Amino acid sequence: MTGGTRPEAEPLDPYVDRPGSAGTLGERQAALVAALVAGAPLPPGFDARLVGVARSALLHKRSGEVARHWPLLAAGHGRHWTAVFAAWAAGRPTSGSIRDGWDLARQLAAEGRLPASGAEELAVREAGWRYDGRTAPRRRRLPTLRRTGNAVVVQVAGRVRMWIVPGLPGAKIDSAPPGP
Amino acid sequence: MESGYGVGIGWRPEIAGFVADLPGLRFVEVIAESVPATGPAPGLAELRDRGVAVVPHGVRLSLGGAEPVEPARVRQFARAAELLDAPLASEHIAFVRAGGVEAGHLLPLPRTREAVDAVVGNVARVQAELSVPLALEPIAAIFDWPDDELDEAEFLTEILDRTGALLLLDIANVYANARNRGTDPLDLLDRLPLERIGYVHVAGGSASDGIYHDTHTDPVPQEVLDLVAELSARHRPPALLLERDGHYPPAAALRAELDAIAAASGYPTVT
Repeated sequence: MTGGTRPEAEPLDPYVDRPGSAGTLGERQAALVAALVAGAPLPPGFDARLVGVARSALLHKRSGEVARHWPLLAAGHGRHWTAVFAAWAAGRPTSGSIRDGWDLARQLAAEGRLPASGAEELAVREAGWRYDGRTAPRRRRLPTLRRTGNAVVVQVAGRVRMWIVPGLPGAKIDSAPPGP
Repeated sequence: MESGYGVGIGWRPEIAGFVADLPGLRFVEVIAESVPATGPAPGLAELRDRGVAVVPHGVRLSLGGAEPVEPARVRQFARAAELLDAPLASEHIAFVRAGGVEAGHLLPLPRTREAVDAVVGNVARVQAELSVPLALEPIAAIFDWPDDELDEAEFLTEILDRTGALLLLDIANVYANARNRGTDPLDLLDRLPLERIGYVHVAGGSASDGIYHDTHTDPVPQEVLDLVAELSARHRPPALLLERDGHYPPAAALRAELDAIAAASGYPTVT
């Protein structure tokens, strides 16, 4: 936002037209956050190397927070976890650690790259909660049955049980039945 | 915060047992957003009931955001202070979201008068709901904004003067910022209103990519303990708190860090 044709009645904002600062504080904060977490270009004047260091540190921190909520998903990737998470999360703002892990697990499952322990963890979550991928997960009220690899997950009245059934083939996660 | 709280530690569920077993402990801090509306976790409630002061420490209010702080977050923050019977509460001079996007981290503000105005407005909104004093914590910044009008001491002092808030001085952040900017941390200590300190944070970090990161998951470096001693020699803060947020070391190592903070500040050990 640069000077020029302001309505007469609007008081001049000394910060808007100062050289080197394009826009209000809110616009400038939004531009910085977008550059840091959503892949937008870095506003002029910032040290690109240092912002890059901050971006990496942030992804590292997020990977640890997601691992706390999705321990089996993280453990299934062993020492590659941080790299796997960072590759997925770069340019993707956080929706909170639970949903970030959920979205990543679903994407890996769709690509056939979800480790078995992560598949079990995802199946347990899918059995207990309805998650539309856009808003906060909600607890299921109807019973559900899920199969992943050789594990069967059953949820009744909020209680989730898992059985390992040797000989059950495949690693597909059954699609969710319609919820209430 | 009244004098004599001495050395405390950030309460986290992972180290609740360790914290509960510290015989001389007089204060802890808990992440404000982690306190449920139904009341604190049993371990924390026990500490409070045995007379340990519990301070809620907010991380998601975004006091430095250009938009007004969200009323629901302010209510939750104020309620946490009440549930904990806290002597004070604290938050950061930072923003964590903008334009509807979460940064997932505490981000630095431009040190401009416009940013001071934003912080002052949001602090007033919080203070209107909060029944105890608020302490404000300057953060560790990996990068700075290109158009600062004020230096760090001027920026912080103006915010403290206009809000009447206490200072939560993170001595590890003082160290990190000075090291990363190539400035002298003692310069900042000499220019801050040390008598306004509510309490002090002490934490560990590590260097990578040529930058010192305030990780809270590494040991407290000797240089940070030396700054605790320098600070205490100028004006001993009423309380100092060790922050550890992961990669928890064996109990003996955590006890040694608490003892080192006590030795550097001249307070009795709590272990």
